[in-house]
Amino acid sequence: MEAASVTGAPSRRRSEAVREFISRYGLIAILLILPVVYGIQDLSDDGNLNRLGNNLVEGLSNGAILALIALGYTLVYGIIELINFAHGEVFMLGSLAAAALYTPFGLTPDTSTGGLVLGLTAILILAMLTSASLNVMIERVAYRPLRAAPKLAPLITAVGMSFVLQNVGILWIGASQVAIPDLLGSQKHLIEIWGVTVTRGHVLAIAVTIPLVFLLTSFVARSRLGKAMRATAQDPEAARLMGINVDTTISLTFLLGGLMAGAAGLISALYQTSIWYFQGFSAGLYAFTAAVMGGIGNIRGAVLGGFIIGIIQGISDNRIGNDWTPAIVFVYLVIIMVFRPQGLIGEETREAG
Amino acid sequence: MRVRWLAVLSCLFAAFALAMAACGDDDDESVSGGGDGGGGGISGDTLTIYSSLPLQGTSKGQSEAVINGEKLALKEVGGKVGKYTIKYVSLDDSTAQNPGTADEGQTAQNARKAVQDETTIFYLGEFNSGGTKVSLPILNKANIPQISPSNTYVGLTTDAPGSEPGEPDKYYPAQKRTYARIVPTDTIQGAALATIMKEDGCKSVHIFNDKTTYGAGLAKNVETAAKDVGLTVEGNDGTDKNAPNYRSLASKINADCFVGSGVTGENYVQVFKDVAAANPTVKLYGPDGVAEEAFTNPAKGGIPADVGARTKITVATLGLEEFKKRNNAQAEKFFTDYEKEYGVAQPDPYAIYGYETMALALATLEAVGDKANDRKAVYTQLLTNTKDRESALGVYSIDENGDTTLTDYGLYTIKDGLPTFTKVIKAQAG
Repeated sequence: MEAASVTGAPSRRRSEAVREFISRYGLIAILLILPVVYGIQDLSDDGNLNRLGNNLVEGLSNGAILALIALGYTLVYGIIELINFAHGEVFMLGSLAAAALYTPFGLTPDTSTGGLVLGLTAILILAMLTSASLNVMIERVAYRPLRAAPKLAPLITAVGMSFVLQNVGILWIGASQVAIPDLLGSQKHLIEIWGVTVTRGHVLAIAVTIPLVFLLTSFVARSRLGKAMRATAQDPEAARLMGINVDTTISLTFLLGGLMAGAAGLISALYQTSIWYFQGFSAGLYAFTAAVMGGIGNIRGAVLGGFIIGIIQGISDNRIGNDWTPAIVFVYLVIIMVFRPQGLIGEETREAG
Repeated sequence: MRVRWLAVLSCLFAAFALAMAACGDDDDESVSGGGDGGGGGISGDTLTIYSSLPLQGTSKGQSEAVINGEKLALKEVGGKVGKYTIKYVSLDDSTAQNPGTADEGQTAQNARKAVQDETTIFYLGEFNSGGTKVSLPILNKANIPQISPSNTYVGLTTDAPGSEPGEPDKYYPAQKRTYARIVPTDTIQGAALATIMKEDGCKSVHIFNDKTTYGAGLAKNVETAAKDVGLTVEGNDGTDKNAPNYRSLASKINADCFVGSGVTGENYVQVFKDVAAANPTVKLYGPDGVAEEAFTNPAKGGIPADVGARTKITVATLGLEEFKKRNNAQAEKFFTDYEKEYGVAQPDPYAIYGYETMALALATLEAVGDKANDRKAVYTQLLTNTKDRESALGVYSIDENGDTTLTDYGLYTIKDGLPTFTKVIKAQAG
């Protein structure tokens, strides 16, 4: 018995060392497998990296939308450790609201550039406010009364809210995908750099996402309310004792998540030029995966996860097959979770730590 | 002690209930009205014909056209065949959550409803081949004759290329054929698509399929037929309905022609938009699964007009002019009557199939005379004696597998948001 323990200890240490090594460096190698392998293939086949570059640009713009949605999951989990399964549907309803506002604002593909900029800015604000209000309302009605209940209760309520909101979507636009006007000419080529085509849709996704992420990060890091959010995330009881209104802070978190989801909703409507009641489920699933992959509770992690998943999707769709993409994304997630359960740049949560 | 006794009783009761349920399952589907030639037949003077089609989502327009055609044919015989009054019941095989196509659960429920109705003499449907995979075995066990206005999947009737292992036998648990269809199979449609691509000067083709029974099966047929006419098949990729877009997938296309083998409800508007944008010069082709306004009309959520201008669609029906050219008086009468009844001069291409589906069912009942209440006599007549039938679709027979002998396909282009007949494609599967 003792001998077994003595021989077992070094082998355990060795396996921990291997795990640590893989956790630090192996994951980077795994994440780079797809681009490196296909990059080498492109260089040998075509003598350039144009195709891979196009995959990356496509992936980054898809990933930008996922990143915005993932922020909602990560903010809420960070503060109350709840997986808000209804968040994907908040994004979906933001998208539907944005598309519904095209006509009242008189926006068509023939509208002048100035008119489009003004109209879409107004719609962006309204879509963000719609999703934010909805998210705050969901928190107030469905989650707050369950704050003291076992964790399973709000979790299942979140699943229920998700289905309720999907049905709201069906009532609103029906259950089929609906094509909407392509206001920006989303797939029109804007510029070509070293054989890589950048479209208007690509620029839109990145140009809206990056400032919003920057604003959100700054708000959480520097503002008084942001500090209250971080304090509540660390220890709600201590925060309450320090005079922070925890309920208001939690509502603020839902508000911020909803704002991001509303923005993602408009970008998605403009980028995909179609809306669907089920778009929130699939996008939400990927966005939640992105949040977990990056390290749930970590804003930068959610954004990183969104971009990584977008890039995996972009490469997999183009090289392996669109029907294999979900499996490839989740294989990546499993590998990352096995070797780094806290996510790529995640930290120990209250629950874990 | 009392608890143990109760537990034993409960177990016995559960075992009894399971045994009853198992027995009941067989009874449920094999013994109902019409019998199996036992001489009983359906009692009474009313026979019911069920129609099962997707009435929600993108296929709603097509399904309504089929129903209109069916009702028109029934109206023309005054709702009666011989001494029997025909009752028509329309069912929806789609659901709010799964619109535009046959939902498997709902389809099974529809078939069971027809089975439980002792007056059922015909079941007209499903629209989608994937739906018929579900309803056919249920109806076959109950000896209910079935005619589909639109199924094209090869494996429903034969084991020809494009089918899966075990097909078609697994759809006929009663080991007798009870199913017929009046559209040519995808072997013919695949050949039609290959023929038109060759005529258009295509050298290579890339296929996307929606992974449904219909889409994946047709894609295989297109692949085979394209190779037969000398086209290079660059790829055949499945598409995920839930994908946000298909831009990355579309950008891998290097062929000069593209076939989107799917139905509108599987996100094929988005597929065509993304393929067209990523490949501005590629020629686009779609099958009958997208021959509907939900796909062709931008005002109804369809592809944009510039993409429509590049798209050609194959459908197994021909235009009015073509029927006139062929002196098909029944087809001309159909178009005239349809306009008079519904005020639509250019009906959906599937309206005439709805009309002929019902006309064939009624003609079959009429042919068996007093045995119109006997399901076995009816399906035997349908499958063995439908020969050289003069119909609105032209002269055709139903072979022993239940397939039509018609082979002409129509080529449709998109004009003013509508699929518009352009010419006949003469195609024969190799």
